[in-house]
Amino acid sequence: MPELPGRKVGIVACSGEELAEGTVTRLAALKVLEQLRPGETVTICLPLFLAGGEGDRAFARFYPTIAVDGCDKRCAARATEQFSGKPAASVVVTDLLAEHGLYRPLGARRLDAAGRQAVEVTADRVAGLVDELLGERWDRRRGSFVGAAPQAAAQGGCACASAIPVQTVDVDGRAVAIAALPLIFEQFRGAGKAPSAEVAKELLETVLIYNDVAAGTDDELAAALAREYAAFCGQELART
Amino acid sequence: MSEEERKVMVVPCSGIGKTYGTVSREAAYEVVEDTRSGTTDLVALSLLVLGDEDARAAVRAHPAVTIDGCKLGCAAKMVQECGGRVARGIAVLDVYRRNRELKPQGIAELNEGGILLAHAVAEEIAAVVDDVLAGVEGQTHA
Repeated sequence: MPELPGRKVGIVACSGEELAEGTVTRLAALKVLEQLRPGETVTICLPLFLAGGEGDRAFARFYPTIAVDGCDKRCAARATEQFSGKPAASVVVTDLLAEHGLYRPLGARRLDAAGRQAVEVTADRVAGLVDELLGERWDRRRGSFVGAAPQAAAQGGCACASAIPVQTVDVDGRAVAIAALPLIFEQFRGAGKAPSAEVAKELLETVLIYNDVAAGTDDELAAALAREYAAFCGQELART
Repeated sequence: MSEEERKVMVVPCSGIGKTYGTVSREAAYEVVEDTRSGTTDLVALSLLVLGDEDARAAVRAHPAVTIDGCKLGCAAKMVQECGGRVARGIAVLDVYRRNRELKPQGIAELNEGGILLAHAVAEEIAAVVDDVLAGVEGQTHA
């Protein structure tokens, strides 16, 4: 059965190609994703917030996200906040190096020894933040933590397949984009739930876990979901 | 025309999760650091995303060669979004299709096939840079 995006932490690296510190962010993020916390982290390419679709822009609302920046321009943190959602935590490599009294890395293309050490230190910090963030309750409707933000916020798999599928439905004449709806439909059908008034109510409850839908009343949204789910089940039936 | 004006911007994608993103970046470095160091500059995509004025001005003032690692084409889209002119958008996957023997693997570190594919991409970029600069020169002398 398909699963809705699970409990993971998002990592967005600035990847700044013109600076060695940018390379540090990319390699540190990869180390966390592939080696240190492979089952608990996911990433997205920063430009997809602009070049991608709604599903890409939903990233930082779905996942508490750690922005990893190479310099104090903080492109990853600022662009994530501007186009997706406020990062739950932020790491700036130059700050981290100063904190540890480490040398500035050289070689954007091939990191020197200081750069490789910077990767280790940055990856360790990010992995620690992942553990802290996984211990908090994340509200996907608001794109923020339930209750107070953790201390980490103040201090602030493939990887690119992280977009949340979005489906646009007509709610009382208004087009409303609903994140994760295709997955929700698949999950309901996989559980053997046939379209009905009761299932429409369940669909509404599930959709509202992941979306803050302003358009229409709950009844109108439930009616739209019932209609779309019936159409989805009809298409699936015709396919088999 | 001054040397600074006769430049081409090279904009690789910021692909982090797939090997083709790494190939795009490696190819860009080969061009701007090795083969066409005097006539090209690298522009970081993250700066364009954030709206950095210097980065935007660079792609507005100079033709750009974009290198994308996947079909989403972030580099080409961002340059156009910023009002820049894409002299040519290179898709790494297309270059791979023409060089099937160069199968890239690895993300943090490319295998030999990936390095050779990056070299093939770099040669295409360099050819475009030469064409663009020749065109600019031609117009200047016309």
